[in-house]
This record gives sequence, C-alpha cells and structure tokens, in this order.
Amino acid sequence: MLKQFQRFGHDLFFRGLTSTHGGNMSVRMGDRIFITRTGSMLAHLEKNDIIETGLEEDNSNIMLTSSELVVHREIYQNTSALAIVHLHPPYAVALSMTVEDAIIPIDSEGSYLFRKVPVVQTETTVGSKDVAKLAAETLREYKIFMLRGHGCFSIGPVLEEAAQWCSSLEESCKMYHYTKTLQAAEATIAKSGLGDLEYRKHTEDYNIW
Amino acid sequence: MNGWTRKMLRVDLSEGKTWIEDIDEEILKKYLGGRGLGAYLVYTEVPPETDPLGEDNILAFCNGAMTGVQIPTGGRSSLSTLSPLTGTIFDANTGSQFGVRLRWAGFDALVIKGVSPTPVWLEITKDGAKIHPADELWGKEIPDTVAALKERGTATVGIGPAGENKVLFASIADEKGRSYGRGGVGAVMGAKNLKAIRATGKEKPGIADVDIYKFVNYEAGKMVTASPRTSEGLPEFGTSVLVNLMDWYGVLPARNFQQGGYEHAEEISGERLKDDYLQKRGACWSCPIGCKRVTKVGDEKGEGPEYESIYALGSSLDIHNFDTIISANYLCNRLGMDTISCGATIACAMELEEKGKLDTDLAFGRDDLLLKTVEDIAYRRGLGDEIAEGSKRLSERYELPEVSMQVKGLEFPAYDPRGMQGQGLLYATSNRGACHLRGNMLGPELLGAPKMLDRHASSGKAGILIVIQHTNTVIDSIGMCKFVNFAIGDDFFARLMTSITGVKYETQDLQLAGERIWNLERLYNLRAGFTEEDDNLPPRFLNEPLQEGGSAGHVVHLDEMLEEYYRFRGWRVDGIPTEKKLMALGLAELEMEQENA
Repeated sequence: MLKQFQRFGHDLFFRGLTSTHGGNMSVRMGDRIFITRTGSMLAHLEKNDIIETGLEEDNSNIMLTSSELVVHREIYQNTSALAIVHLHPPYAVALSMTVEDAIIPIDSEGSYLFRKVPVVQTETTVGSKDVAKLAAETLREYKIFMLRGHGCFSIGPVLEEAAQWCSSLEESCKMYHYTKTLQAAEATIAKSGLGDLEYRKHTEDYNIW
Repeated sequence: MNGWTRKMLRVDLSEGKTWIEDIDEEILKKYLGGRGLGAYLVYTEVPPETDPLGEDNILAFCNGAMTGVQIPTGGRSSLSTLSPLTGTIFDANTGSQFGVRLRWAGFDALVIKGVSPTPVWLEITKDGAKIHPADELWGKEIPDTVAALKERGTATVGIGPAGENKVLFASIADEKGRSYGRGGVGAVMGAKNLKAIRATGKEKPGIADVDIYKFVNYEAGKMVTASPRTSEGLPEFGTSVLVNLMDWYGVLPARNFQQGGYEHAEEISGERLKDDYLQKRGACWSCPIGCKRVTKVGDEKGEGPEYESIYALGSSLDIHNFDTIISANYLCNRLGMDTISCGATIACAMELEEKGKLDTDLAFGRDDLLLKTVEDIAYRRGLGDEIAEGSKRLSERYELPEVSMQVKGLEFPAYDPRGMQGQGLLYATSNRGACHLRGNMLGPELLGAPKMLDRHASSGKAGILIVIQHTNTVIDSIGMCKFVNFAIGDDFFARLMTSITGVKYETQDLQLAGERIWNLERLYNLRAGFTEEDDNLPPRFLNEPLQEGGSAGHVVHLDEMLEEYYRFRGWRVDGIPTEKKLMALGLAELEMEQENA
C-alpha cells in the first residue's frame, strides 16, 4: 500500500497538482482508514506518513492525520469509495472561482470522462464539517467535485482512479484556459486592426506545404 | 406508465388459475426489478425447506426497468427460484427476447407456482396468461418446440428433454440457445410439467423524461464505441477472444483444473473460431456490442460456443477437436442444458476414472464419447443419469468429493482462481455458488478495467470485489448486460434509471440497492442452512499450486481475504449480517417477519 501512496503522491506533485505540503490521500480497508499525515509531502511519503485510524472510531493517531480526515470519513461512510484524493490543482481552482455551479469541460477527453464537475462552496473550507457533509452528498452522484477556491475531492475503487480524475480535471481546465485565452487574444487583435502579427512573410504559403 | 409496468402475472399450475396483481412501487424502488425483485419474491414466498422440484417452488421471471427499452444492452431479463442443484436462492439471466416481449405485454414479472397434472405450455398476452395442453410438444428438443409455437411478434422459451427429465443443470432457452442457463432452472420448469412459455407484446415502456433519456443514451452509445472491449474485442471474436488470453495468464482450466493453461489452446481459440467456423455475428435485442457468434459445423448451424462452453466441453475434458466441442455445444442447447455444469461434471467423472474410482471408458481426451455422453445425461441413461445430478453428488457417490470443482454445488466457470486472488474470493462468497457473473474480477485483475490490480495480491481485494458485486447485482436487476459495464458504470445506470422511471436515483442509491439485494440473498441462504463453512473453495485451489504456466506456484489465500470481506461487509466473523447492517439496508423488519413466520 505504501508503494501506491508514494507512486501517486510523487506523480501528482510533479504534475503540478498541488504544492509541496498540500493535498492528502487515503484508502479504506474495511472499517479502517489509511490517510496521509498532516503536513506530509506527497512527493516524499515514507512509512510514517501513512496513518491508520478508524472509519468511525478515533484513536490517538488522529493527532497525526490530515486535517481533512473528517471529510474523508464522511465520504467513506456515505459512498462506496475505497480511495480518496484531495488536491489543489491551480487551473481548476482558478476556474472554480469564475463559474457558477459547475465546470463543463470543453475538450473531448474531459467531456468523455466527466461531462460535468460540480462546484460547491462553504464558508469554512479546511477540515470543515460543512465540507464533509457537502462532499459526501455530491460524491453520491459524481466522482469528483471542486470546492470553490480550494481544491478537488475525487473518489475511486483504487488510488489510481481517484488520482486520474484529479489529473484529468486539471488537464481539462488547462485546455479551457488556453482556449479561452487564445480566443480572447484573437478577438483583441482583430478589434485593434493590427491583423495577423506576422513576424515573417509567406504565412499563407505555408498552408500549401 | 413510465419505467416499471407495476404489474405481475401470476400462474398456479396446480389450480389451473392465472391472474394479474399490482406490484407495490416501494418494492420496485428498493429492489429495482429483475434479480432484485426475484430475490424478494423467493425470499418472501418460498421457505428454504421447500422441495425445489415440488409445487411450492416458484419460477419468477422478472424484468428490469431497462428491459425492452432502446438503450445499449437493454434486452436482459432474470429468472429467480430455489435451485435444485445448489439449494440456494438462485437467479439466471438471459439475453433472449422473451423478457423483452414479456415486458411489452405489460408485465414486470411472471410468477409460476404449482405443478400441472399434464404437460402444458403458457401463452402470455397483454390480457394475461392462458394454459394450453402440450402433450404433442413433450419430448421435443427446444428449437422444435419453439418452431411449433412460432408466430410473428412473439418470443418463446422452453425446456428440452433435459428439463423434462429433471437434469439438475437443465436450462430454459429459446431457439438460438440463449438461456436462463445455470442452477437447474429447467428442471424446476420440467417438474411443473411446463414445456414452454410464449410471450406476445408490442407496447414499449413509457419514458419519464425523454430529453434526459435521449442524451444519456446518446452518451452511453459514445462510450460503448470508445471502449476497445465493447467496440473491438467482443464484436470481433465474441467471448472466445478470452481463450488465448486466459491461457497466456495461466488461468484457462484444463483437465478438471489440474492445469492452468492448455497446450492446445490455439486450436480452440477465438481466432480459430473466426477463421474456420464463423458464419456471421449476432446480437441480443438492442445490443450494439454483438458478441454472439453464428457458427457452422457440417450441416448444422447454431450460436456459440461461448468461452465458458469451450473450456467446459473442451480444455477441461482435454478435448481439442473443435468440431466436437461446437457440436456438443449445439447439442446442449437443443437438449436444454447448462454447458458449464454439463462439461464440468463430465470432467469430474473423467477425473474419477483417472483416479480409479469410476470404471468407465469416459476418460480425459475421449472426444469420440462426448456427444453420446451429453445425450445420455439429458435422457438420464447409464452413467449419464449419475452425471445429471451434478459434480457434487457424483463425487460424493464415488467417495472422492475433492475432485468436484464447485462451490455450494455450482460448478466453476473458466477462470482458475489460483491466478486471480480476487476471483477466488468471488467464487467463495457468491450467493449462487461458483460463478463469474456475480462480480467478475476479470476486469481489474486481468484486463485493466477500470484499473489493473496485482492479480496475485490478496490484501485489499475484498473491498473492490464488494463494490463490483453490488454493481453486478444492479445490472442484473435493472435489465442490462454486464458487458456494457466495460464502457459505462453506475453513474450512467443511475441517470438512465432516473430518466426512465421518474424516480430519482443517485449512483450511491444503486450501490445501496445492490448491497440490499446481496444481503437479502445471503439471509435466504443462511435460513437454508448455509454457513461460513460454505464460503469455501475446493482444496485443490487452496493447497495445490499450479505446476506450469503463467500462474505457476500460486494457491488462493482465501482465509485472509474472507476475514477482510466479512469485516468490510459489516458482517459478524461467522459471516452473518449484523443487526446494524440490516437496519441500514432496510432489511431488519423483513428478516424479523420471516423469522416469526
């Protein structure tokens, strides 16, 4: 199990999906939860960074667990999830602050995988019972959602799948951002009357190459 | 009426009466339909001590809300009963158009009890059921029976000589061999003196929200196209695509599971079937996948064989003459027998012969005896009469029970669990015995769907298996095919159910319904006397590592997985659901009613 945490923690950090000490992951084994330690670095997880605690009952290990344990527990108790990933992917977080109640991917891959990713909000975000309740409700119907201005929570039967949803959502949000930025730039250029910003001649001729 | 028809057709063959009842909508919401509704009916109406072949057992043909709806694979239906082979609650599932026509006649369920004094067949229309004499049909093979009753706009299923002779693995099938296949449901029908049922129906179910239904359906179609399993592998080769693949993994059973892998796999592979026997592809109603194969051997054409039949009638018997395997498959279909249990019990007889317990010419590799043996079983002649009782009874008769490859009396399908730990746990815990269709781990353990797991790891498999068991239960209950699950999952099923029935279902509502049905089946089996000791595997899988092939050196680590499984399910260490779990699933009251009864 440690290898799984290490593998996906490493990949998700180096894909730029969270900061050095941000995000958390967990898996459920029956009535036990294995969750990353508070303050651990996803890219450098060691044995002592994976903390075992109860699905319902606390033990002294909760002194060490991620502050989002309350959210993870509520999700596990209300869904069939066996793994949860929580990250702060920058493009997705930024986009969550510009849309009303959902991110609708415009790229093909994102459309196939998600169709729609709900965006919800609460006044308190980190380790909040409000988030826990909302997360569990939302994930009864969707496999990933965005907490506005904070990050995503995703579920799956294994860590790999939960990680995939976060990674794919961020990719999709990047595509959204690039597309909208380029469209805006083209509109601005057209409006300014500058025409194409050609830095060398024969642009049209390249079409027949 | 949207979604469910909310109507059940009842037939009492002892009394010669038929009538129509309303189904409580709350029951449909809780148990979905199909297998779930069937489990509820068997649980509440058939005490476990009932003689499965007596008049108090029921045949509950149950449709899901998707049965007969134009969605990918919306043509499946279910049949529940108390199995004469296993003694467990049992459901069989088919892609025959019979379920569709029954639904279009206006019925979510057809429930038959009693025993007719003489052979009869049933005619189902929107007005109800009529009982007709079937003396002239009795003795006929299934295609001839169906042909005799054939009319435009109808679909018929029936039993062959095997069902009439109460072979404990007799099936109920249509003329193409699409069967309610396993568990001896055909013997239950034969014991009722019921030869066939013909359904006529034209009225398609209403859709509650047409716009959402159309969009979700459109998206589902895109996903089926996007998955290489549903758009390439299964359409191209059918299920026999698995022969070479499973051989490579070392899980293709040969010689009654004494080998994991078969040296003649190539000769009985999907590629060979396509090159030398395939006439055309076929598909169940409303199925875009089309995994059926129409094949030809000599002058005979027919459907199949499926991968499971190739193992059971081929590699497990050390028979690699493909002509003979295909002919035996046709013969099983015509006579009305489950190919898996038929082949697996013959394999058991062959190993009894090999071990010197049974004096017979029926040895491994004797392809010249296969067709005669299949006929002898259906007509209960000679050794065939003993094989007709299934491998558990056969091996006990010859005092070598360990060569019966079964769980709870149901023979194994074509995946050696020594190469798939999760599959081993599935077999041990399945409510109907050794079956791959109760939560197949083929996807996550061998095909990487949805994600590839370490197939030899035992830790962590319980939780994943339970989720898959619930999803499979849902698919059986809503009336779709498990193959579509390679492309779409619970989120699609929930949206389809919502748009078709008008009842709001979230993904997790369906998982909960799947868990409820699974636990209800478990409660029935516990009342029938099954215990945690029956959640087991033949000793061969636990103690004898495979000697060669892709899974060499492995056995199943069942004990550690089982402990985790019970804990994960919220059951006691002895495999009994806790009061808390039953309360959470809304089953406590029902269980108490049954205990008091």
